Amino acid sequence: MFRVIGGRSVQAVRLLAPRSAVLVEAVRGRKSRNDPVAKSKEGRIKVPPPVDPVEMVVLKERYSEYELILRALRLEFKEEVLRKKYEEETGSQAEERARQEKEEHRALMDWNDQENLQMLKARILRIQKEEEEAESKTVEAAIQREEELQEFIRQKEKEILQLQEEAKNFITLENLDQRIEEALDNPKNYNFAIDKEGSVVKRTVLQ
Amino acid sequence: MKGRYPIRRTLEYLQKGEIIFRNKVKIMTVNYNTHGELSEGARKFVFFNIPQIQYKNPWVQIMMFKNMTPSPFLKFYLDDGEQVLVDVEGKDYKRISQHVKKILGKTEEVLQAEAQAKMQASNPANFGPKKYCLRECICEVEGQVPCPSTTPLPKEMTGKYRAKMAESQE
Repeated sequence: MFRVIGGRSVQAVRLLAPRSAVLVEAVRGRKSRNDPVAKSKEGRIKVPPPVDPVEMVVLKERYSEYELILRALRLEFKEEVLRKKYEEETGSQAEERARQEKEEHRALMDWNDQENLQMLKARILRIQKEEEEAESKTVEAAIQREEELQEFIRQKEKEILQLQEEAKNFITLENLDQRIEEALDNPKNYNFAIDKEGSVVKRTVLQ
Repeated sequence: MKGRYPIRRTLEYLQKGEIIFRNKVKIMTVNYNTHGELSEGARKFVFFNIPQIQYKNPWVQIMMFKNMTPSPFLKFYLDDGEQVLVDVEGKDYKRISQHVKKILGKTEEVLQAEAQAKMQASNPANFGPKKYCLRECICEVEGQVPCPSTTPLPKEMTGKYRAKMAESQE
């Protein structure tokens, strides 16, 4: 029958009459607008609860005092919380702390820079060493290639000399007849005999 | 478990992370190479320690860049626009994490002070909304009288019965 309202409409409505803590409005419950009144409630006259004036006065006094005290306490506590927060953020201690933090940060950044410089130096050394090594490697490779070339040339020269030597014994058109005569005069025997022990016998009969 | 070194995905491993960044640090960037002896430390750092760091600092953006520069480095972008460069070429991953913890991590004492403050702020003896306190009513505690909304109280404990007894006695 009564419903508690809350939300965006509340702020405006709160400015009007009700001073109570909770805002209630009448809401049609189970029955709709045109339903007739129940039989048991036909002659009912709504009567507000009886109020004793003396009691009313006394109660009003006490309630106003009570609410005053409670409101004061609430505001005190709220103010304390706000003050604490303010102190936390912009108090004298906060400045000190901020300064100290800045100093520490500065020191750590310097230390970090030092480390970076050291790494830089180490890196430069390393790169230099690598360059030197690469250079020496190329030089060595060149020397190696030279060596191989020389070797090749020597080999080829040896072969030429050997061929020249053998050329002396070649059969040419001039000494063809002579060589034929020589060959016919000295028959060469290529036969040989071998026994079971493996000893070779070259002196055999030529046929 | 799935993947290599699946221990990196366990809660226990993640909670053991030591590096908690100061409030100033907002972004962390790691540039490293996938091949090469000098990036080995950086690669291990990314593989083992980054999950721990991200778990402990969920509001810090961490980005990884691969094979963009010849040498590996870390870069931190702070609140006031300051950028902190950390060269990690050839360093061991344990040394890298110690270095980072030293320059930009919260110190032990700060962490302890924060833990103390948190303990003081939340008193486990308070009853109230779940957002601020552990319990709302004594009926939630094991071994206490259960909530009358679930099981009705024995008659002797109800106010109705007690009032009737008190009345009948007078």
